[in-house]
Amino acid sequence: MVNIRTHNVVKRFGAVVALDKVSLDIKHGEFFTLLGPSGCGKTTFLRSIAGFELIDEGKIFFDDEDVTYVPPHKRNTGMVFQNYALWPHMTVYDNIAYGLRVRKLPKDEIDRRVKWALKLVHLEGFEKRTPHQLSGGQQQRVALARVLVIQPKVLLLDEPLSNLDAKLRIEMRAEIRRLQRELGITTIYVTHDQEEAMSISDKIAVMDHGKVMQVGDPVDIYFHPRNPFVADFIGQGTFIEGSVVDKDEYLLVELEEGLGRVRAVPSRRDVEIDVGDKVLVAIRPESFSISSNKASNRFRVKIYHISFLGNIKRVQAISNGKKFLIDVEPSASFNLDDEIDVYVPYDLTLAIKV
Amino acid sequence: MATLLEEIRRELNELRWQFDLLNWAQLTSVLAVFTFFLIIPVLTIVQASFIYEGRLSLYWFQLILRDPLYLPWKGVGGRLFDVIEYSTETGRQVLIYIEGLDFGVILNSIYVASLTTLFSTTIGFILAFIFAKYKFFGDEVLRILLLAPLLSTPFVGAIGIKKMITSEGVINTLLVDMLGIMPFRLEFTGISAVILVQTLLFYPIAFLNIYTSIINIDPTLEEQAENMGASGFYLFRTVTLPLSMPGVEAGALLVFILSIEDLGTPIVFRGSNADKLMPVFIFRNMFTPTGTIKGDATALSLILLVISATIFIVLRKYISLRRYAMLTKGGVWRPRRRKLGIITTILIYILCISILAVALLPHIGVVLLAFAGEWPSGSLLPTYFTLRNFVKLFTEPGVLRAILNSVVYSSVATILIVLLGVSAAYLVSRVKVKGMEALDTLVTLPIAIPGIIVATGYFLVYIDTPLSPLIWGAPLLIMSYTVRKFPFTVRAVFAGLEQVDKALEESAVNIGASRTKVFFTITLPLIFINILAGGMLSFIYSMSEVSTGIVIGDANHNDAPMTWKMYDMLFKGFGGTFVAAAMGVMLMALQFIMIVASNLLLRKRAVALIGI
Repeated sequence: MVNIRTHNVVKRFGAVVALDKVSLDIKHGEFFTLLGPSGCGKTTFLRSIAGFELIDEGKIFFDDEDVTYVPPHKRNTGMVFQNYALWPHMTVYDNIAYGLRVRKLPKDEIDRRVKWALKLVHLEGFEKRTPHQLSGGQQQRVALARVLVIQPKVLLLDEPLSNLDAKLRIEMRAEIRRLQRELGITTIYVTHDQEEAMSISDKIAVMDHGKVMQVGDPVDIYFHPRNPFVADFIGQGTFIEGSVVDKDEYLLVELEEGLGRVRAVPSRRDVEIDVGDKVLVAIRPESFSISSNKASNRFRVKIYHISFLGNIKRVQAISNGKKFLIDVEPSASFNLDDEIDVYVPYDLTLAIKV
Repeated sequence: MATLLEEIRRELNELRWQFDLLNWAQLTSVLAVFTFFLIIPVLTIVQASFIYEGRLSLYWFQLILRDPLYLPWKGVGGRLFDVIEYSTETGRQVLIYIEGLDFGVILNSIYVASLTTLFSTTIGFILAFIFAKYKFFGDEVLRILLLAPLLSTPFVGAIGIKKMITSEGVINTLLVDMLGIMPFRLEFTGISAVILVQTLLFYPIAFLNIYTSIINIDPTLEEQAENMGASGFYLFRTVTLPLSMPGVEAGALLVFILSIEDLGTPIVFRGSNADKLMPVFIFRNMFTPTGTIKGDATALSLILLVISATIFIVLRKYISLRRYAMLTKGGVWRPRRRKLGIITTILIYILCISILAVALLPHIGVVLLAFAGEWPSGSLLPTYFTLRNFVKLFTEPGVLRAILNSVVYSSVATILIVLLGVSAAYLVSRVKVKGMEALDTLVTLPIAIPGIIVATGYFLVYIDTPLSPLIWGAPLLIMSYTVRKFPFTVRAVFAGLEQVDKALEESAVNIGASRTKVFFTITLPLIFINILAGGMLSFIYSMSEVSTGIVIGDANHNDAPMTWKMYDMLFKGFGGTFVAAAMGVMLMALQFIMIVASNLLLRKRAVALIGI
């Protein structure tokens, strides 16, 4: 269990910059998620931590130890691959015992620890099975047990749930989190699924084109995006460009497309926005209401699609060519082509510096 | 400048990172073998071709290019065919004697290879299309039978067919004398016989390659086209044919290379214009009376090399053997195959059986020869059958020795091939460093280098060393087998490695195993079957190696392999042909066993191997 620190890590594949000066600080025992679209560099980062990619520039530290040039088999990380990578020519027992045998531990010690690992992932009695006799969820558990048994410094999970069906995915998500808490192990988790990232992580790093766009806890990332990419990638919303024309308690933003002026708050307190700045106004669907409120911005929109999602109805509407996403009570009775007024409190109208 | 240094520093870093001790050992041994037993001999030929009386000169090329022996400066020789009329006791006979035109040694080789390629690819394509697209009674059996000519060992095709197609041969005896359904006799000889035999030998290679590429076309691609209204020939021309082109091209180019370097076929038709094909011509004229290699032979070798290497480069560049290997990776989808009605089935049977009847002529011929006690010309079958020829394998002086030589050389070569081939395939597939592509090309290169050139090169390089073939034939024969049959194993192992998910290895490294440990505990067990199958193929191909075998064997009879002995027996007069045929049958049986075994081991993956 260690603190993992990377300093200006750069990795190129030919002309492509897969990692562009990535500096991250992952605390002891933290569940840290790398989130981003495919090709953003998240898997490359994970593989660099494991040592499968030799980085071109920068440093990687496990606590105070510089591991930049330590070969992968000496890093003592535990990586679970997307497809689990269980060895088909070995039983479950042999798969899990492999890392211990490599370390030349005594036989009874190996046996004791394999049993412990199987118990940890609730797979007692599966020792003699071969991987193809296991379900997807069970294979996943074996893959976890195989790395946990060597007591790695850090657990690396590369989209571990992407091969499971929706229901099992939610179940394994909780399972992985339970294991992580139980063992208190520093964990780096890679996913492109923002909902998964939000629900499981202590901290999230949003990546794009090899760069870290924002690091923060889920609430911070969702409500206080640092830039338009993060706002767009995390959750859904209505996004309208505009420029700041005045500034008092709120920012007064002149919206494009002739949508008028709105009052908004900066998405982050630590980002200074001045009069004349270009901003992206972002409004989460749940921030809209259909009743007027004193400190609210008002939009008149025309409905063109309504989808019922169970707990809410999500309305897609349009105003001056701009698309709006609005969540309303499931009981709300709107029809297509209705023109309605919607309101957003000033405090939930986020202005993100472009 | 700074960025260049930076780049170099990074490459070196990467190199140090990617290579471990095992990799270095693998790389060095592969490179050493290829350097000493392929690169240096070939370069020596290049060098020798440009040296005349100790000076750099184009003399040998001028000599060759001016000589009407090599190029048709004095017009085209020979005749396509002759009609000869003569009388015998049974009456007047008409003989159509087909030998083929003579354009000189260089053009002869090119046009023979071109025609063989054209015919083989056409037959191969028709068959491949039928078997890939239609389902009918007995299709599996028929398909395997049509691949049977792959089981042909050196000389066999030629020996067998020679017995069949002469004027007093089996075909004419049957059709003219006995059945009386053919009004004239037909005899193939020389160049036309070579084209005939090679087409029968090589069409299965085109067939296999094309078949594989057609069944690997994602059926939804054709369904989509049909969905949009395409059908029949339009669908074939716009979707099926373009998608199967890699297989067609790969098959055709392979056939071309195999044909142009083939020594075993033309050598059987000694005394005809088949002597004027490059490999045979070099073989017969390479030595000066004092035992050194002639300059014009090296220059001609170089010309042959340039032709086959060009074809090889085209093969690699446009069709990429690797992509082909990927194509055959797995049958994820079920190929679209239409069920045929009874009438079309019968038509297909007629077509396939006629091809088969001709294609199996050489095999039937050679088996009959092997069991023949006596077989006078003009007689349909041998006058009596006997096992004497097989007994002679043990009693005839030198035969057993040659067979044992072959077994020993091939075994040692197979061990070397497996060790080095697994190493090379592993490096190419797993070590991501610049230059591994080049290694891949290097180890596939032997396909492009005609055996006669390797043999000539060995003589040039090693004649005055302790490895001289005159002193001791074994080392150079073993190394020639190793290098020449290397690509088969490398491809088999490479195909296996590509099927092994790299994550399986990385996950072992991740939990503490060194790369070397992973290689032995994870990688090798997972590709064991491919190694075994690849090794078996290398063994049978080594046993059947002709070119280097007869060149070195001719220089050192004691250490000669069985292919040389077959060649020797063939022209030894009475009974020799029968013993040679018995040796051929023995080799065929061996091939049959090994191919069936490796097919059982590899199941579907087998296609990738032979198709190389």
